[in-house]
Amino acid sequence: MGCMPKNPAVRRFYLRTAATTGIYIVLTIFIALYFYRFHPHGLCAYLLALLPAIALTGFIVTIGLYLAEEKDEFQRDLMVQALLWGLGGVLVFTTAWGSLETFVHIRHFQPTWTYLVFWIFFILRTPFLLRKYR
Amino acid sequence: MNCLQKNPATRRYLQRFIPTMVAYVVVLLFVEWFVHRVHPTGALLDGMAVLPAVPIIGVIAIVGMYLAEEKDEFLRNLLIQSMLWGLGAIMALTTVWGFLQIFTPIHRFQPFMTFPLFWCFQAIAVGALQRKYR
Repeated sequence: MGCMPKNPAVRRFYLRTAATTGIYIVLTIFIALYFYRFHPHGLCAYLLALLPAIALTGFIVTIGLYLAEEKDEFQRDLMVQALLWGLGGVLVFTTAWGSLETFVHIRHFQPTWTYLVFWIFFILRTPFLLRKYR
Repeated sequence: MNCLQKNPATRRYLQRFIPTMVAYVVVLLFVEWFVHRVHPTGALLDGMAVLPAVPIIGVIAIVGMYLAEEKDEFLRNLLIQSMLWGLGAIMALTTVWGFLQIFTPIHRFQPFMTFPLFWCFQAIAVGALQRKYR
């Protein structure tokens, strides 16, 4: 998405994504350190585990805001297509991994990887979409 | 989606979607039965384990075809919005579960549950959006 930063909606999207991703990383590191150091349990452990999901919810809101603010229908469509490819990639990947885990006993898929897997598929698809519409 | 069946794109979507979902369940049950009964090894076991992901690729293609064929922008938007809510919900759930799994003695999340759970969240989102736009 080479020309995107010129667009104010995309600029805001980038800034918000960077902020939510930053918060997500900081919270993840904080929680990991907190758990290793203080070994919380019960309600406290559940509440702490919920924290990164709040940052993730912020990211979902960021996407929603971008789709609402973007005036360029083509750019909005590109984003939706990339998001759907990311989603499709996650669903296929987790299903294949789940079956392999059950039947072939490969390493357990950490559910927290889902977010990362989504972004990998999203990023992998974007250059192909841009090439398609060049 | 009471009125959707009148729409030709939706009719085609449902005609493609329902058999593919049935195929997914059948393939899953077959693989489970085959692996426990025949005890395959090596490449055959790997191939069998990956088999349930094939109908999911089909589902993703069907959703893509629907989005390309649907002329009614409102209905297309409704599906996209509901899928994005489903995506957000599944990412939030897997993140929370992942952290709980690392730090608390919670049951392991099965990766192949991502697909059915996504559709549950998507269905809830469709209901909520329909109420919003009624």
